[in-house]
Amino acid sequence: MPLSTPARIVSELASRGYNAERDAVTKLADAPDPERALDRALETMPDDALKLTADHVDSALDRGESRADATAGGRPTTDGTTESSATADPPISTGTDSPSSPDTGGDVPPETRGSRDVDLSKRAIEVANDMTGNSTGTGEYSDFVSVFRDRYEKLASKLRGRVNHRPTDAIQNMTGGSEAALIGMVSDIRSTASGHWLVELEDTNGTFPCLVMKDRPIADLVQQLLLDEVIAVDGTLADDAGILFVDSMYFPDVPRTHSPSTADRHVQAALISDVHVGSQEFMADAWHRFTDWLHSPEAEHVEYLLVAGDMVEGVGIYPDQDEELDIVDIYEQYERFSEYLKEVPGDMEIRMIPGNHDAVRLAEPQPGFDEELRDIMTAHDAQVHSNPALVTVEGVTVLMYHGVSLDEVIAELPDEEASYEEPHKAMYQLLKKRHVAPQYGGHTRLAPEDRDYLVMEEVPDVFHTGHVHKLGWGKYHNVLALNSGCWQAQTDFQKSVNIDPDAGFAPILDLDTLDMTVRKFA
Amino acid sequence: MREADEQYFETLETELESAMDVAQRARQRGGDPEPEVEIPTARDMADRVENILGIDGVAERVRELEGEMSREEAALELVEDFVEGTVGDYDTREGKVEGAVRTAVALLTEGVVAAPIEGIDRVELLENDDGTEFINVYYAGPIRSAGGTAQALSVLVADYARALLGIDQYRAREEEIGRYAEEIDLYDKDTGLQYSPKEKETKFIAEHMPIMLDGEATGDEEVSGYRDLERVDSNSARGGMCLVLAEGIALKAPKIQRYTRNLDEVDWPWLQDLIDGTIGKDGEADQGEASESASGETASDAGTDDDGDEDPSEEQAGPPRVEPAKKYLRDLIAGRPVFSHPSKSGGFRLRYGRARNHGFATAGVHPATMHLVDDFLATGTQIKTERPGKAAGVVPVDTIEGPTVRLANGDVRRIDDAEEALEVRNGVEKILDLGEYLVNYGEFVENNHPLAPASYTVEWWEQDFEAAGADVQAMRDSPTVDLADPSAEEALEWASEYDAPLHPKYTYLWHDVSVEQMGALADAIDEGRVAHTDGAVVEGPGSAAADGDLVLPRTDDARAALERLLVEHSQDEDRLVVPDWLPLVRTLGFDRSLERTWAIEDLSDRAKTYGEQEAADAIGYVDDELGDEAGRNAVLAVDEVSPFEIRERAPTRIGNRMGRPEKSERRDLSPAVHTLFPIGEAGGAQRSVADATKHADSMSETPGRVEVEVARRRCPDCATETHEARCPECDAVAETVYVCPDCETEVEPDESGRAECGRCETLASPTQYTELDIREIYRDALQSVGERETAFDTLKAVKGLTSEEKLPEPMEKGILRAKHDVSAFKDGTVRYDMTDLPVTAVRPAELDVDPDRLRHLGYETDIHGDPLTRADQLVELKVQDIVLSDGAAEHMLQTAAFVDDLLEQYYGLDPYYEFDDREELVGELVFGMAPHTSAATVGRVVGFTSAAVGYAHPYFHAAKRRNCFHPETRLWHRDEDDEWAYGTIEELVESRLDDPEADDFGTLMQELDGDVAVPSLGADGPCRRPVEAVSKHPAPDHLVRVEVGDRTLRVTPDHTMLRAGADGVEEVPASDIDVGDDLPAYDGGETTMTGAGAAVPVADGAGVPTDAVTAVEYVESDVDHVYCLTVADTHRVAVEGTYVGQCDGDEDCVMLLMDGLLNFSKSYLPNKRGGQMDAPLVMSSRIDPSEIDDEAHNMDIMDRYPREFYEATRELADPAEVEDVMTIAEETLGTDREYTDFRHTHDTTDLAAGPDLSAYKTLGSMEEKMDAQLSLSRKLRAVVESDVAERIIEYHFLPDLIGNLRAFSRQEVRCLDCGESYRRMPLTGDCRECGGRVNLTVHEGSVTKYIDTAIRVADEFGARDYTKQRLKILERSIESVFENDHNKQSGIADFM
Repeated sequence: MPLSTPARIVSELASRGYNAERDAVTKLADAPDPERALDRALETMPDDALKLTADHVDSALDRGESRADATAGGRPTTDGTTESSATADPPISTGTDSPSSPDTGGDVPPETRGSRDVDLSKRAIEVANDMTGNSTGTGEYSDFVSVFRDRYEKLASKLRGRVNHRPTDAIQNMTGGSEAALIGMVSDIRSTASGHWLVELEDTNGTFPCLVMKDRPIADLVQQLLLDEVIAVDGTLADDAGILFVDSMYFPDVPRTHSPSTADRHVQAALISDVHVGSQEFMADAWHRFTDWLHSPEAEHVEYLLVAGDMVEGVGIYPDQDEELDIVDIYEQYERFSEYLKEVPGDMEIRMIPGNHDAVRLAEPQPGFDEELRDIMTAHDAQVHSNPALVTVEGVTVLMYHGVSLDEVIAELPDEEASYEEPHKAMYQLLKKRHVAPQYGGHTRLAPEDRDYLVMEEVPDVFHTGHVHKLGWGKYHNVLALNSGCWQAQTDFQKSVNIDPDAGFAPILDLDTLDMTVRKFA
Repeated sequence: MREADEQYFETLETELESAMDVAQRARQRGGDPEPEVEIPTARDMADRVENILGIDGVAERVRELEGEMSREEAALELVEDFVEGTVGDYDTREGKVEGAVRTAVALLTEGVVAAPIEGIDRVELLENDDGTEFINVYYAGPIRSAGGTAQALSVLVADYARALLGIDQYRAREEEIGRYAEEIDLYDKDTGLQYSPKEKETKFIAEHMPIMLDGEATGDEEVSGYRDLERVDSNSARGGMCLVLAEGIALKAPKIQRYTRNLDEVDWPWLQDLIDGTIGKDGEADQGEASESASGETASDAGTDDDGDEDPSEEQAGPPRVEPAKKYLRDLIAGRPVFSHPSKSGGFRLRYGRARNHGFATAGVHPATMHLVDDFLATGTQIKTERPGKAAGVVPVDTIEGPTVRLANGDVRRIDDAEEALEVRNGVEKILDLGEYLVNYGEFVENNHPLAPASYTVEWWEQDFEAAGADVQAMRDSPTVDLADPSAEEALEWASEYDAPLHPKYTYLWHDVSVEQMGALADAIDEGRVAHTDGAVVEGPGSAAADGDLVLPRTDDARAALERLLVEHSQDEDRLVVPDWLPLVRTLGFDRSLERTWAIEDLSDRAKTYGEQEAADAIGYVDDELGDEAGRNAVLAVDEVSPFEIRERAPTRIGNRMGRPEKSERRDLSPAVHTLFPIGEAGGAQRSVADATKHADSMSETPGRVEVEVARRRCPDCATETHEARCPECDAVAETVYVCPDCETEVEPDESGRAECGRCETLASPTQYTELDIREIYRDALQSVGERETAFDTLKAVKGLTSEEKLPEPMEKGILRAKHDVSAFKDGTVRYDMTDLPVTAVRPAELDVDPDRLRHLGYETDIHGDPLTRADQLVELKVQDIVLSDGAAEHMLQTAAFVDDLLEQYYGLDPYYEFDDREELVGELVFGMAPHTSAATVGRVVGFTSAAVGYAHPYFHAAKRRNCFHPETRLWHRDEDDEWAYGTIEELVESRLDDPEADDFGTLMQELDGDVAVPSLGADGPCRRPVEAVSKHPAPDHLVRVEVGDRTLRVTPDHTMLRAGADGVEEVPASDIDVGDDLPAYDGGETTMTGAGAAVPVADGAGVPTDAVTAVEYVESDVDHVYCLTVADTHRVAVEGTYVGQCDGDEDCVMLLMDGLLNFSKSYLPNKRGGQMDAPLVMSSRIDPSEIDDEAHNMDIMDRYPREFYEATRELADPAEVEDVMTIAEETLGTDREYTDFRHTHDTTDLAAGPDLSAYKTLGSMEEKMDAQLSLSRKLRAVVESDVAERIIEYHFLPDLIGNLRAFSRQEVRCLDCGESYRRMPLTGDCRECGGRVNLTVHEGSVTKYIDTAIRVADEFGARDYTKQRLKILERSIESVFENDHNKQSGIADFM
């Protein structure tokens, strides 16, 4: 190995134009693969640093290790752990000037593990519905058709039991005045001159107009309809069989009998979103308080951290955004985020999905990060899944979705059904429709894939969103709907539209009981 | 009025009357809707105002007040009348306020727009929280057409009335103030405001506004914060209110202040804060106007102090300067070059003066500059400018200094001649200086912009010289002295003898070099020597060059200094050779033998540190050449070492960029329509009458019989039923018969002309569906005018009529139009559009007319009072005389030939014009019309110009607006990256409005380089055509909503639609479209295949598929802006799956007088709101200068600006402060001299100098234009190329990419076979209507078209990392959407 001696390391560093602390050199030399360690250390070294310090090396080695863990395939075997403690321990014990705060644990899994009594073997996390790396759509017409057909099929299957569906073309040929039922995707909603509602439903055979009389109780339900959701209706055909008078309307919905699963042990998860690192309004202090708290005994059971998007503020999200950015470079934003993430206890299992500020496509489903971004975000081996993704944490299924569609739901539905003040109510609507973003063609953008990843095929136990920067939670048919606020103080834009964000809150979920406590750090 | 003026107007009126006589006789004979000429002559504005308002007594009062005061004052005076009840019949207080406000708006808009009626909904009295009453003015969208000033004054008037009536002020609640701020922001984002006030500004205004501004909701978009307020009805944006507050009060604050100052009763002290821009300034220091003017203000303060006393504080270490403003760079688009960055050295140098072809919103540029900027500037090209206004039309002025360039051989030369510019153009390596830029004082008055420090020019120097004691008059008279161009010896002698500042010719731009550079130059001179030339450089006689040239060792600093000083020189590897060097070395304190007695250390501290404030310019670019921050301006240093006074040669540089190109073209509906005769579908896509005569729906039908909706009329004499205007039997004028559509009984119209069925309470219809025998009508028409079908190519008619009574035009007229290749506008007239430029004095030679000819027209003497005998004499242009572009003259000749034939062959009268060549056009009368007005002005042709513009007296000028599409109208277009995209016109236009020209009516217009193409429909069927310009216009009150199948199209009522006629596609106004009409359908096929060889779906011959109209209705306009495209050649575009015409041109147009008199009829106009716009409902036979837009009144009319003026500019004085020493046109209003004495300070050799057409128009693709733009940016010293690239990406490419990517993921789809479109992909996959193939409307190609070009430009021209990252993220997003992860070469799977 050419770099095995400190002298060689020093000369190599010098040839690359770096100075280094003696300790740093020693540590590099001690690393199992000094060459890689050196590369990593230089790569991760902050731009403004003049000298490679021991801390840099530590954090680089640390990252390298967690990455090594990841490549090992998520098997937190004793092998892996001993190895990492073996290499990372010594530097820590000798380290005198750890980067931040007394809890150096942020960077140092071994030590943290020491302080937090965590049994990794009990952990279990599974992810479904993640399309990262599986984006097969190429933007063809047929891709779009497949998506909508898939949506129809999946949601129709939830409704089949409730009505006796007849295809639209069959209904047309039925005799006037007879009873009929239909499962369809809402393709149009209009009010008639006399104030009744005309809902056009579509199935794979065609469309059929359904009339909801304004004086019927179900007329209120029409107000809650969004285009392109799938519903079932039954009623009576008009005399010429040209229209269906609707008697009742059904949504795919969450069964009232739904009983959520829980974890077998007392373990907690922190559910946050909208960190917006890079924004001038990012609340670093609140974040520090939050991560400090995670190291406290009070938080010893918080073993999971779920982030529902908008990790960074992003670039080019709105015009002249650069003038309001604290960090103008998108990669630096992720690097900084990664730094902030390191403050979190090293043993925590972190799962994230991208949001509309993240550097991935805006069209949903949004895949997780590409390699370049993953390389930056190596801290904790935080996994970034697609938006939406279904993350099952020790038996509890958490549907993570960033929540762009909430804007539309809130805009389209009456205030009492959905408002920014009570974002969870808008989430109830989505649960009821069993789709995270039903309406096509409006605010929400759709990227066609081979199937509709946005359908809630399975009833989640927890539905976790962000995006609207308001904290709100509640239970809908035993499903916990949570919109988790943000870590960004009120922006000028929000001020101008009178939105007061709920910033600096961390909802903590008991996975064994599904009880939730909200902790305030702002 | 002077005798001569009276005579002039009488000449015009006599001519007009005789034409009227002929026309009256003709109209009695033919088959016109009315037996007399339908354009009445309006007496004056007072009449118009009263008519439009319908308030008796207003006209009389207006006339009384008119002579005594300005219109604004009159409006305020009328308030008192309303309050006292002497005018108007209002009992309630709110009624009185309402009457006064409406009258004010009518008065200020001269009674030509609908704003006073439709823009103000009502006035209410409401209660404040403390129980006092206040006034609430309820505005509606149409207030837009009033323009900012009238909008703002309407509030002032309301407040004045309020004060007089003793009603309390409005006290806004906290949440209402918040609501104003949010709502204006929302409205701005949604529809866009010309001026977007900062939130603080809005709140400030709302807090202080003594009147509550309210209005009807104009958009769907709702505010999200301040909702459901008690005193605000709607949660949506109230467009009218937003306009009044933002574009009225906020934008026009300086203007209102002028009027509040004169009123004792009304006091708006807070306006000052608004004007000072101290509101909302502390927020962000971005490009907002508020902060701009704010910083300008600070600079001006600093400057004033500096001149006032010699307090050597930090602040005053610099020369007086105006603050750079970069707003004009906003929204830069590809293909329109930046000529100079804000206030940057090397850019245009501000010179004050008015050339004769200069007036308002114009900028004088040397023709050599026009050529050297690669012909991007031509006469009439609009530029966006840093100051004083926003935009200006370029006019050639060759009596100012031209550009200075460095040639490839190192020579630095000033080019003062267009010919020379063309010769050296290819060898130009760097344009060191763009030359002078002439702006008149009136332009600063109009924009209420503080005067910027003037260049030291001959005009000023002469006055200094005189003040120093020289007998300037004697020198001027001396044949041996040229005051403007003295020899070096003379100049030096004058300077020392009289102790006057050095002559500007030898005053170099010392303020552009640093003290360091100056020192370096002095050092070089120390080492220099004088050498005799080889004779290659010949200098003027008597110059110091007699001694030989000065040869300096070449150092970088010395070379840079010479270049920045604009000292002409040549160079080789080691020497710099300066001819005529004496003034330079003398200025630097050397004597003739190159000895100096000073050293750089001797300079005072102040001189050494002078000018540090100029360290960085507005775009954050630091000029490295200048070194240290301190001492960037060597003028003080030079002044200290020089034996005479040295002035700042060009302290103000003006940044600008190209707006839109000039225009001169015929106005055709598209396709051109020859006759307003309905032929239904029978004419095919071409609406060809000949085809219609052969058309039959089936074999069994007789060809040529077409069922159309036409008028139902009856002869009063013989009771013959007809659809024509006249009784076919007895030729009496038939009367309209109204029939109830339900019970089919005849209904007599009541007094107001309304025919309502008494039984059914429905409106009776004046039209009928009847079968016309087109074949017979055509044959008869041909016969009656004695023409054969071979006389013309195709006679094109319309599919249906849109007028209320649907009276068809006699087809004979169309035959003759077709014969002479002219086409009819919707009102039956033939029109030609031209960009308007002002001119006040002309030479017969440049107009291509004989002086004799002009003498006959009353031009007896030249401007000096000498008899007009020679073609090069300058004569003062009469106010209603206009100069036609060559194209216009050609078109007028065709029209004249048509009119003659019409008179002779149709009306049976003698021909009227009988022209052989265009000279004979001189002296003929025309109608001039500004778009969207309803009044024509009589003008007289005096000559021709090769420039593509219409020159006329400034008083003849009027503002412009146009017709357009609803913002959500979607269309296909191929963007600059050659990719097809489907998106809304709003996105298309907005993303390209980089540097739009604006006018008084809120229109923003931008020329494109033609890189954007749209599907269009030419004579040979579907095609693609480049988009020449995009524009954004204030929306009219109503739009027409046309439903074609699933798609809806919303356009302005007089928007040209295409309709399948019997013989082809015809053009009709949207208001003419009826249910059942077939519109040519755009088959997406062309754009789905973006490559070559795409199959163009042409049904048969030139045919296209059509779609039937399923619904047509008038809808209240819910938007504030509508959008428009100008499409090359065809002027048609496919939107929403339908081919339609583009919008009407926004240029002023001219019509031949007799054509208007003979052919115009109100009966042809769409009987819909907006239908009467652009139609000459009245004509003014003479211009009353007091009645025209006051923009023209601010024009200065002096032949020399006084020394006081120049000195005031150095104090950054307010233009009003020098009012006393300046003369503007306003001062002659109402006097004998109101039509004359428009003096100018600068002459120009030729009105049409420089390129005839801007390169923008001659270059092909958008990419070509962009490359030319970028290559020019590299050549110009005053331009930072990376910033240009950055802006193109930021404002052109990125919005397009982002917009298209967004559009892709929420697009509609469309059936390729039947054209049915779907909001969402049908689950069936196939078309639900016809089972055909459905496809996307936005394809990958349209999304990705620009990405490669954008990335290339970003790399090549050094865009910021931020921009590059945005592009990179976008590129990945695009890949993520369009690429299959599994087919990638290296999958992410490897990594996981």
